[in-house]
Amino acid sequence: MNQELTYWAALAHTPSIWTSRKNDIVVQCFNQGKTVADFFESENFLDLDLKSQELELLKKTKLELANYAFMVEGLLNQGYDIVPITSEVYSSTLKTNLKYNSPLILYTKGNKQILHEEAIAIVGSRNANETSLVFTDNVAKKASSEKKIVVSGFAKGVDKQALDSALKYHGQSIIVLPQGITTFASGMKKYYKQIIDGDVLVLSTFHPKSPWSVELAMARNPIIYGLASEIFVAQSDDKGGTWSGVCDGLKKERKIFVRKPSNGEKCANLTLINMGALPVDMEGQPIHDIIKYEIVEEPCPIVAENPKPYETVEDKIRNLLSKGKYTSKEILELLHLSNISSQKLTAMLKKINGIKTEKKGGTNLYYIQTESQLGQLSLSI
Amino acid sequence: MNRQEHEIRLKQIFGIDHFYDEQWEAISRILNGERILMIQRTGFGKSLCYQYPATLFQGITVIFSPLIALMRDQVRALNNKGIPARYINSEQSPEENTDTIQEALQGKIKILYIAPERQENQEWIEATQIMNLSMVVIDEAHTISVWGHDFRPAFRRIINLVKLLPQSLPILATTATATKRVQSDVEQQIGGKLTTIRGNLKRDNFRLYVLKVKSDDAKLIWLAQNIKKLDGTGLIYTGTRVDTEIYATWLVQNNVNAVNYHAGHDAETRKEIEIGLMQNKYKCVVSTNALGMGIDKPDIRFIIHTQIPASPIHYFQEIGRAGRDGKPTNIILFYNESKDENGIETDYKLPKAFIDGARPSIANYDKAINALKNEPLTMAGLTKATNLKENQIRIIKADLIDQGIVREVEDGKRKLLEYQFGAKALDTSVFEELRMIKLKDLDSMIGYVNTTKPRMQYLCEFLDDDSKTTYSNCDNTNLSKLTIETNEFWCSKLSEFREAYFPVLDVSETTSSTQKSSGIKWAVSVPVINRIDIIKNDQLFRSFNHSVNWECFSADEKIFLEALLKRHLEKKSHIINGVAASYYGVSNVGNALHRSKYENGGDFPDFLLRLTLKAFCKTFGNTKFDLVLYVPPTHSGDLVKNFAIKFSSVLKTPISHKLIKVRQTKEQKVFQNRLLKVDNIKDAFSYSNPLEIEGKRIILIDDIFDSGATMKEIGKLLTSMGADIIVPIAIAKTVGGDQL
Repeated sequence: MNQELTYWAALAHTPSIWTSRKNDIVVQCFNQGKTVADFFESENFLDLDLKSQELELLKKTKLELANYAFMVEGLLNQGYDIVPITSEVYSSTLKTNLKYNSPLILYTKGNKQILHEEAIAIVGSRNANETSLVFTDNVAKKASSEKKIVVSGFAKGVDKQALDSALKYHGQSIIVLPQGITTFASGMKKYYKQIIDGDVLVLSTFHPKSPWSVELAMARNPIIYGLASEIFVAQSDDKGGTWSGVCDGLKKERKIFVRKPSNGEKCANLTLINMGALPVDMEGQPIHDIIKYEIVEEPCPIVAENPKPYETVEDKIRNLLSKGKYTSKEILELLHLSNISSQKLTAMLKKINGIKTEKKGGTNLYYIQTESQLGQLSLSI
Repeated sequence: MNRQEHEIRLKQIFGIDHFYDEQWEAISRILNGERILMIQRTGFGKSLCYQYPATLFQGITVIFSPLIALMRDQVRALNNKGIPARYINSEQSPEENTDTIQEALQGKIKILYIAPERQENQEWIEATQIMNLSMVVIDEAHTISVWGHDFRPAFRRIINLVKLLPQSLPILATTATATKRVQSDVEQQIGGKLTTIRGNLKRDNFRLYVLKVKSDDAKLIWLAQNIKKLDGTGLIYTGTRVDTEIYATWLVQNNVNAVNYHAGHDAETRKEIEIGLMQNKYKCVVSTNALGMGIDKPDIRFIIHTQIPASPIHYFQEIGRAGRDGKPTNIILFYNESKDENGIETDYKLPKAFIDGARPSIANYDKAINALKNEPLTMAGLTKATNLKENQIRIIKADLIDQGIVREVEDGKRKLLEYQFGAKALDTSVFEELRMIKLKDLDSMIGYVNTTKPRMQYLCEFLDDDSKTTYSNCDNTNLSKLTIETNEFWCSKLSEFREAYFPVLDVSETTSSTQKSSGIKWAVSVPVINRIDIIKNDQLFRSFNHSVNWECFSADEKIFLEALLKRHLEKKSHIINGVAASYYGVSNVGNALHRSKYENGGDFPDFLLRLTLKAFCKTFGNTKFDLVLYVPPTHSGDLVKNFAIKFSSVLKTPISHKLIKVRQTKEQKVFQNRLLKVDNIKDAFSYSNPLEIEGKRIILIDDIFDSGATMKEIGKLLTSMGADIIVPIAIAKTVGGDQL
C-alpha cells in the first residue's frame, strides 16, 4: 500500500490544470529530489513557481487529501491498480509518445506486465463493414502470432473485433476505457477469465467513477495511439472519433497504417492515405506503390489547413483555435459563421474538449494548446 | 493557545478543570497534526484526547469503534455537552444512517462514531470522498494488530486506509490492552511519525479470584449459592450463547434477578437490557463477550467468567470495564479442571477447539478458489457453489482477501468476489503460525489459573507493563480462596432444572410492509397459538392475545395493519414456534439419539419420549390438537415413525402416515449451509389426502431440529392444504448447525 498514491490521485484529479503542467510540476519535484507527497505536505508547495490561480486550486486539493485517501483505499480494496507516471510499471511507450501529455496515473485491472510488451493499436468505425472486420481480424492474428499486444478502445465494430480476435488467436490485449474504471462492471464480468488469466488489461485514465461520454471517448484516443508503436486503421469515416484521432496522430507524425479501401468503398481511408497515412493491404502489409494504382481524384489537401467542405463547425473551430487565440467575435468572423449567435458559440465552445480560455480586458480569448506548443521536453522521470 | 488557555476552554465545554499530563501531551501533538498511539488503562480518559481536539477542528472527527454500546453512551454524553456528535451503525435504520451522513456532509457534526464494517458500505464510501475530515481515531486499536486474535476483516481496511491518509492528518489510536508485541505491530500499521504514550495498566481495586471446580454443575451451583452475597450489579460471561440462556434461566429459577444477553438478540432487546444494567435493574447480566466492553457504567461491581477466555489479553479486556469508579470489585474466573480419559482438562477443551477449528481445511479453501477462478460470485453464490458452512465461507473469504487472492468488487448494489490475476498460492503457513501463537496465549491463560503469583502482577507482566510496584488483592495474596459445596440438595435441584429446560424451535414467519404515508415499516407474525405480534421498524411494538386491540393504533394504521394481517394469514405459513426436549450435546439426549440412529441402538429410548412429552405439555398443554404427523425419513428406518406413534397414543391424538416424500432428498446434514438445505427439500413432500388437513391443528414430529428448513417446508405444504396451525416438535435442537 503506497501512501504516495493518495497524492498522485489528488494531483491527477485537480481540475483546471493541464496535464502537461501537472507533469511539469512532477518533474520540478523530481529535480529537487522531492516526491508529490512532499509537494503537498510542504509549507508552500516546495516554493515551486506556481501561478496564483494554480495555487488556489492546489490549496483546495490539499484540503481534500483525506477524501482521496478514502477513494484510493476503496479502489485498491477492489483489486484495481493505480500506476503513477513515475512507476516502473508505467508504459514507457506511452511516455515516449505523449511526453508531457502523458496521464499522471493509470487505473488498471489485470496483467500490468502487458504495458511493457510491444503493442499495436487497431482503430476504426463503430459501423465498420465486413471487409474492415476481416482486416481487423487479420491484423490482430498477425500481431498475436508475433506476441504483440493489441490495444483497442472497446467500442462497437472494429474495436470489439480487435479485442475478440486477439483473444481468439491467444494473444493479449489492452482495453482502453472511454470511462472511469469502476463503471465497467459488465465488461469486467465478460472478460473475467481473460483478465485473471493475464491476457487482458483494462486501463482507464479518467476519474474512476466517470461515466461513458463522448468527450472521454475522444480524450481516450490519444491514449490508445500512445500505448502502441504502430497504429492500424481499418475504416474511417470523414468525421468522428477515428477520423479526428488519425488526424491528430498524423499531426504528431505517428506512423499510421490505413487499410487501402477497395474501389467504390464508402469510407475516408483514401483521404487519410492522401493526408500522409501509410496504405496497407488486407493483411496489414504496406503497399509501397499505391500511387501508381490509385488515381487521386481531388488535389491532396494539406492537413489542418483550409477548412474542408466536410468539416463540421466544431472541426473548423478546433483548427482555428489550434493556430492562435481569438475572441468569440473573431471566431465568428474568421469562420464566416454568420448564422450562429455569439451566445450559441459560447455554449459550443464550452462543449469542445480541450479549449482553454484566457481573460483579456473584458473579453475571453479562446485557444487550444497543441503538442507542438509544449515544446519537445523529454520526460526524464 | 497554551495549556492554560486550553484548560479554560476544557472547563467551559467539558466541565473538567485540568488535563492529565499524558492527556495534554497527546492533545498538543494531535493539534499539531501528529499521530499518537495511546495505551492507557480503562477509565483513564482516553476519549477526551480526541473529543477535546475535535471541538477545535474545522471539519469532522471520525472514530472507528467496534463497540456499538459505547458509541451510544458517548454520543449521548457529548450531545448533553452541546457538542454535535452522531453515530452510524447497524443498530440504526438505514434512513437514520443516511440522515447522519447527510448531516456530516453539511458540516453539522463534529464527532462521528462509526463501526469499522461501515467501511464496506457504498453510501459511506461515497460520503467519505466529499466529507471535510479533520481527524481519524481508531478505538480499541489492539484490534488492528495482526497479532490480535479477533482480527476482524474490516480492520484490514482501516489499516490500509490509515496508510493512505495524508501525513498531516492527525490520527489517534487508543487501547487499554497491548503487549509490547501488539504495540509495535500497531505502531507499524499506523506508520508515519508516531508517538506512543503508554501508561500504567494496573487496576488496584480488582479483587481477583480463580475458582477451580470439578464439573460444570458446580459453577451453576456456586452462582446460585453465592451471587446474591456479592456487592452490587455485575456481569457473567459464558462461552456460548446457549449458555447465557441456561445460566440466566437457572439463576432466575433461584430467585436471582438475571437476564441473558448476546449478539443474537435484536437491537431493541439489547438496548433495553443495557439500559436496565445502567439502572441496576438486574443483579447480573449473563452475556457472551458481546456486552460489556462498551458499557459506560462506572460501577460494575463484579465480573464472573464461567469459561476461560482465549488469552490474558482477552481476559484483561473483558474485566477492564468493571469497577471504573475505583471501588472494590470482584473478578472471578471459574475453571473446570476435571480431566477426560486423555488427561485433558474440560475447560481447556472449548477454547482449544475454537483455536483448532478456527480455520477450515485447505481443501475447502481450494474449493472456494476454484469456484472463483471460474466466475465472479456473490457470497451467497459462493456458499452454494462450494457447499460449505456459512461461517467457514466467511473465514475463507476474509483470508483470501487478506492474502490478495480474492477481491470484493462493487457491482451495482451487490458485491462480487473476484479471483485476482497473478494471485499467489494460498499461504497456509500464516494459519499455522497464528494457531501456535493462540495456543501459546491459551497456555498463558491456563498459567493465570494456576499461578501462585499475585494475579494482577501476572496479568500486567503478560501485557509488558513495566511498573515497579507491589501487587496484592487476590486469592494468591491477602484474600481467601473461594470454595464450593455441591451437596445432594443442589445436585438434584440442578438436574430437575436441566430436565425441564426446553429450547424453542423458532420457525414462525412474518409479513412486513412499509406504510407509505408515515414511512413506518410494519410487520406482523403469529409466533405462538393465539398470539399476534406487531413489529414496528424491526422492533416488537405490541403483542396481543387472540385479537388485536385496535385502540392502540391510529385509524390509518388500523386500516394498514388489518390488511397486512389479512395478507399474513392468507399467504404465510401457519407454522408456529415449537419446542424441543433438549439441546443436542448439552445433556445425555444427544448420546441416546446417536446410539439409536447410527449405532443400531434400536428405537429411541422411552426417556426421550417422556422428556419430549414434558416439553410439549409445558408449552402446549392447554391446546387440543387434531393430528400427529412426522417427518418422513430420508433413508429407510422407522425411528421417528415409531416415536411419533407412541407420542400420539399417549396424547390420544390420531396419527397419520400420509405425509410422504415425492422425490429422493439427501440427508440435510450433507448440506453445510441453509441455502442448500432449503434447495434440498423444496417441494419434496406431499400429503396423499389433503382434505384430511383442512382446518386441523397439527403436531409435526422430527428427531433433530437443525436449520428448521424441513419443518418450514412441510409447514408450507400443510398450510396450502388448509391446516389451522402446525406445531413443530423435536427431540433435540442442535447448537449452531447439525453437529453429529
